[in-house]
Amino acid sequence: MRRVALLLAALGLLTACGAPDKPVDLAVVTAVDRPAPDGYTPAQKPTAGSQAPNCGDPTVSLRPGGLAVTGTMAKIKERGRLIAGVDQNTFLFGFRNPETNNLEGFDIDMAKQVAKAIFGDENKVQFRVIASRDREDVLTKGEVDIVVRTYTINCDRLQKIAFSSVYYSTGQRVLVDKSSQVKGIEELAGKKVCATAGSTSLTQIANNPAKPVAMSVVNWSDCLVLLQQGQVAAVSTDEPILAGMAAQDPNVKIVGPKLTDEPYGIGIPKANTDMVRFVNAVLDKIRGDGTWQRSYDQWVGSRTGESASPPSPKYRD
Amino acid sequence: MGAPVSAPPAQRGDSVRRLARSARTTPGRLGVVATALVLLSVLTGNVGALTMQGRLNTISGLVEHREPLSAAAQQIYRSLSDADATASSAFLSGGSEPPQLRERYEIDMGQAGAALAKAASDVGGIAAAEDQVDTLSKQVPVYAGLVETARTNNRLGLPIGSAYLREASTLMRTKLLPAAQELYAIDTQRLTDEQDDASGVPWFALIVMVVLLAALIATQVYLTRKTNRLLNVGLLTASIAIALGLIWGAVAGVVSASAISDAREHGNQQVDALVQARIVALKCRADETLTLVARGDGAGYEQEFQKLAPTLPGLLSKAGVSDKDAQAWLEAHKKIRELDTGGQFDQAVALAIGPDQNGATAAFNRLDQDLSQAIQQGREKFVDSTSTAYNAQEALFPGIALLAVLAAGGSFLGIRQRLREYR
Repeated sequence: MRRVALLLAALGLLTACGAPDKPVDLAVVTAVDRPAPDGYTPAQKPTAGSQAPNCGDPTVSLRPGGLAVTGTMAKIKERGRLIAGVDQNTFLFGFRNPETNNLEGFDIDMAKQVAKAIFGDENKVQFRVIASRDREDVLTKGEVDIVVRTYTINCDRLQKIAFSSVYYSTGQRVLVDKSSQVKGIEELAGKKVCATAGSTSLTQIANNPAKPVAMSVVNWSDCLVLLQQGQVAAVSTDEPILAGMAAQDPNVKIVGPKLTDEPYGIGIPKANTDMVRFVNAVLDKIRGDGTWQRSYDQWVGSRTGESASPPSPKYRD
Repeated sequence: MGAPVSAPPAQRGDSVRRLARSARTTPGRLGVVATALVLLSVLTGNVGALTMQGRLNTISGLVEHREPLSAAAQQIYRSLSDADATASSAFLSGGSEPPQLRERYEIDMGQAGAALAKAASDVGGIAAAEDQVDTLSKQVPVYAGLVETARTNNRLGLPIGSAYLREASTLMRTKLLPAAQELYAIDTQRLTDEQDDASGVPWFALIVMVVLLAALIATQVYLTRKTNRLLNVGLLTASIAIALGLIWGAVAGVVSASAISDAREHGNQQVDALVQARIVALKCRADETLTLVARGDGAGYEQEFQKLAPTLPGLLSKAGVSDKDAQAWLEAHKKIRELDTGGQFDQAVALAIGPDQNGATAAFNRLDQDLSQAIQQGREKFVDSTSTAYNAQEALFPGIALLAVLAAGGSFLGIRQRLREYR
C-alpha cells in the first residue's frame, strides 16, 4: 500500500514538472530599429581654434580674361570632355531625373555653359557626383576641372582652392513639417536638425546659441527622408535647397529669416588661375545674354515664385 | 549488514543471511553469477538499443533538420542580396522599371520570406541564431517598405526616391546581409557538430558490451575449473552473441562513419565552398551596380569589388566550378569601369544591366545558375551518403536488443544446467 502511495506521489511530481507554469512567450515586439541613411551621425563638435582666417571679402574673384581656349582649357579640349564635380541628390540644383536618368538642375546648367564655351557643345561634359565633404579634395587632387555644387565661397575654402565670381546668392533657413509650430532655429533647442557633412550649414547649426542637435548625413535628400520619417525635427540649409525639398513634399514649409549669406561660386583648382578668369568670362556672358535668367526661372523661380537677377560680380586683377 | 539485530524485520534479516550463507557454497555462488549475467545482458540490450536509436535519430536529423536549415540560411542571403542588386538595377535603368526586373525582385523577396520561415522553424534555443532570425524578421519588412517608397517617388519623378533606395540598401548591407551570413555560419556549424556526434565511437555501449563479454568468458573459465567440463553450450551461445554484436556494431559503425565523412566532404563542405563563392559573387554584383548608382561618389564599392573579385576564381576552383563565366563577368566589369571613368556613363550602365549576352548581367546570371546547380548537386550527394550511413546502422537497433536477449537466455540456461548437476 505504501509503495503504491509513493509511486503515485512520484508520478504526481513528474506531472507537475512537465506542465508549463505560464503562457508561451509570444515574442512581443515593443520597438524596431529605424532605418537610417548611410553615414547618419551626430555632427562632430567644431574643433576649437579652427577659426576661419580673415581674407577680406572672399567673393572678390579674378578679373575675366576673355573666352580664348588656351592653357588649361586647351588641355581640357584635347581630352575631349570637361570633368565637373556635381551633385545628383539636390533637387533644383543638381539631381538625377528619375524619368530620363539624366542629371539636371541650375548647377548642371552652369557646368554645361562652361563646356559650351570650351567645346561649342554643352554635352561635352562628364559629371562626377561628389559628396559635400569631398569638394575640396577632388579639386586639390585634380580629379575634376570644376566643382559646381551649391558651393559657398568662404575664406577657409579659399586657402585650398580658388572660386569663380558669385553666380548665385542665398542664405540659410529652416525647413520643418507643416504642422510644426516652430518659427525659426531658435525654437529648436535640443531637437535634431539635419545637414550634410562638410557643409557650412552644419557648422552653423552646431554653433547656433539655441543649441539644436546637429545631425550629419552624406546627401541633402537624406535630410528630407529623415524629416519624412520623423527622425529629425528640422532641416537647415540654404533656401533653394530647402525649396527643392518643399517641391517634393507638400507637407513641409520653410520658416525663419535668413541666418547667413551664402554666395555660391564655381570651385577651381588653385593653380588654374587662367581657368578662373575663363569661367568668370563665361559667367559674365550668361549674366548678360539671359541664359542665367532662363535657368533661374526654370529651376528656382517657377518653384519659389520669387524673381531674382544675377548677383553682380566683384573682381580684382 | 551491520544493522542492529533487533531493529530490522525478522523476515528481511533472514533473507540477507540466507543469501550470504548460500554465496559461500559453489551452487549459491553460481546462482548469484547467473543473476548478474542476466542483469548485465539486459543492461547491455537496453544501452545498445538506446544508443542506436539516438544515433539513428541524429543521422536522420542531419537530413531532416540540420542540412535544410543551413541551406535555407544561404538561400536567405542569396535572395536578399539579389533583391538589393535588382532594385538598384531597376533604378539605374531610368523611367518605369523593366517588368522582368520587377518580377525578379518580387521572386527574390518571396523566396527570402519562405526561406526565413524555414530557418526560423528550428533555432534550437541557440541565442545567437535566434538573434539573427529576429533581426531578419523585423527588418525585412522595413527594407521592402523603403524600396516601395523609393519606387513610388521614382514614378512621380521625385529625386528623393534615390535617397530612399540608398537607405534601403544601407539597411540591407549593414544589418540584413550580415545577419543572414551569421545565421548561415551558425547553422553550418551545427550541421558539422552533429555529424561529429553521429560518427563518434559510442564508448559507453562499447564498454558495457566488452564487460559483459569478459564476464561471460570469466564465468566459463571458472566453471571449467570447478566442473572439469570444457564446454557450456548456453554460455558459449551467449558469448558468441555478444561477440557477434561487437563485430557487427564495429563494422556498421565504420561503414556509417565513412559514409558520413563522405557526406561531409562531397556534400556539405562542397556546398559550403560553393556558398562562399556565391556570397563573394553576390557582393561583387551589388558593388558593381551601386558604383554606377553613386555615379562617381562610390569609390568604396569599387574598392570592395577590387578586393573581393580576385578571390572569386580561386573559390570557384576550390568548389570545382568552371570560372569561365566569372572571367567573362570580370572582363565585362573592366569595360564598364573604363566606360564610366571615360565619361560614357550611359554605355557603362547599358553594359552593366542591359540584355547584352557579353554584358555583366548575362555573365553573372550564368555564374549564379552554375553555382545554384552545383549547390543542388552537393545537397543531393549529402542526402545520399547520409542515407547510406543510416541504412548501415538501421538493423543494429533491434539487432543488438535481440542478441542481448540471446545472451541473457544463454547465461540463464547454461548456469541452470550446471546447477542441476549439484542436486
